Amino acid sequence: MTPSPGVPHERSVAAIGGSPGLSSFAPWRHRLSVLLVASTLALIFVGGLVTSTGSGLSVPDWPLSYGMVMPPMVGGVFYEHGHRMVASGVGFLTLVLAVWTARAEGRATLRRLAWGALTAVIAQGVLGGLTVIYLLPTPISVTHACLAQAFFCMTIALAYLTSREWLAASPALEDRARVRGAAVAATAAVLGQLVLGAIMRHIGAGLAVPDFPRMYGRWIPPAEVLEQAPVAVHLAHRAGALVVLAFVLRLALRATRDGDGRLARPAQIALGLVFAQIGLGALTVLTGKAVLPTTAHVATGAAILGLCWFTTLRTRRHLRVAASAAAVAALGDPAVS
Amino acid sequence: MSMRKSLAVVALAAPLAFVGCGGGEKEAPAAAPATTTAAAPAATDAGAAAKGSASISGKISFAGTAPAPEKIKVSADPYCQKEHKDGLERKVVDVKDGGLKDVFVYVKSGVTGTYPAPTEAVELDQSGCMYKPHIVALQVGQPLKIKNNDETLHNIHPRPAVNGEFNIGQPRKGMESTKTFDKKEVMIPVGCDVHPWMRSYISVLDNPFFAVTDEDGKFEIKGLPAGEYEIEAVHEKLKSQTGKITVKDGEKATLDLSYKG
Repeated sequence: MTPSPGVPHERSVAAIGGSPGLSSFAPWRHRLSVLLVASTLALIFVGGLVTSTGSGLSVPDWPLSYGMVMPPMVGGVFYEHGHRMVASGVGFLTLVLAVWTARAEGRATLRRLAWGALTAVIAQGVLGGLTVIYLLPTPISVTHACLAQAFFCMTIALAYLTSREWLAASPALEDRARVRGAAVAATAAVLGQLVLGAIMRHIGAGLAVPDFPRMYGRWIPPAEVLEQAPVAVHLAHRAGALVVLAFVLRLALRATRDGDGRLARPAQIALGLVFAQIGLGALTVLTGKAVLPTTAHVATGAAILGLCWFTTLRTRRHLRVAASAAAVAALGDPAVS
Repeated sequence: MSMRKSLAVVALAAPLAFVGCGGGEKEAPAAAPATTTAAAPAATDAGAAAKGSASISGKISFAGTAPAPEKIKVSADPYCQKEHKDGLERKVVDVKDGGLKDVFVYVKSGVTGTYPAPTEAVELDQSGCMYKPHIVALQVGQPLKIKNNDETLHNIHPRPAVNGEFNIGQPRKGMESTKTFDKKEVMIPVGCDVHPWMRSYISVLDNPFFAVTDEDGKFEIKGLPAGEYEIEAVHEKLKSQTGKITVKDGEKATLDLSYKG
């Protein structure tokens, strides 16, 4: 499909990277990018294990580990050095994908995205090293956690923009159910919640409110505890969960109403994961930050973000902005639907 | 992007993508022979306060039921498991015949003058995947020699509140590192992030008047000048206890303090 600058939908597709048609589909490069998505989610889980097990400083040096390439994988070293190994693997995959994309991809935006992903993964490695060298300073640890999520979204974009679905010249429909905006809002809400979660985790505020679902024994926490920063951050994260639930619920409802399974399915899975995520958050508190629920909470957060972001990209491909408010109103009209 | 540009990026990115590759090991500097904790003799110095001839001894007791020993899983490291075939138990409140072990006892106030740091190092040993001793005490500026006597790796990571934090690795048996602390600070927690059960405490004072209770809960602080002192006993788990005492030159005074469970 040749981008047509005169049509809003085509403009938005072109802005993301264009849709040059199925003839440019590169199956192995696409598969590599899907592998990178899966590896990155696994890396986020493994990285979460490092913090959950308190192993972040069990290897005191970087880039080597105890001056070695491969130290004995005992105690906390198993988690920290294991994280470094998986990260190196993801870094290698990104490097291969970036070079491959640079050489074989016709779309300049996609080439830039691939180089951006490589830059991000290198920066992420350096941030990981700095957290070790500077003994886990909160700003660096939080940035490391947030950049992981941003990189994950970049890999999803790389995978989707090289997929058959993106490249196929299917016509876009009017966004009568207003899914496009709902997807962006849900993605932004989840991202904000992940940033809050990262801050809470790295300032050690995960148990600042020790009970659940009540807060210090009350449904509305006592005002005096809010003066303590860790408590305030923790409560903001709990409130953020409700905001995320609202936005993802809205996205799932609108996507379902739209009727396109390509949009409804990821949004519905995201909604299911939000409920699971709230349960995992509760378990994290009630078990005193047991390793498995705490780490699963981190990885599930990333999965929710990935699904919302994926839905956002799909709305960009399959929906165009509704021509007028009348079209939105017409959604309820059986003659139109 | 041209092939040349692609290769240039690969060349730049590869070393970072493969973090963990490379060679070379750093040996920590060795230090002078070790001494034990508690009231190490001060080095002579022109401006140094004269040491006295009084002493304070006593017993730190614990009345009540001590918490049950904590059972620790050491299976994460086969070497540690081999060292503790029957499992490892840690008594955080270690009581024998009413005496409380591993209490840091020091003169909290009343000391005047300056006491230069001894040049002899105090030793903190990592042996059997445990720290020995559990409580280390030394003076500001006095060397602390940290040794690895285990056939496994350890990292040494104190978490002070006022001194500088550090984290060093000792991957091989026989390695030694020497560190000093430049500020007064009592009971700095020290841990190994590889083996989370390993815990020790370092106390740093600007005088030599301190001691750590033995397994019977007894302590002795020697060489005090005559004066009135406030003595504080600090335990890692229990609240601190204080007492006041006046000593004369040559006197062997007694001060007992007690905790209730």
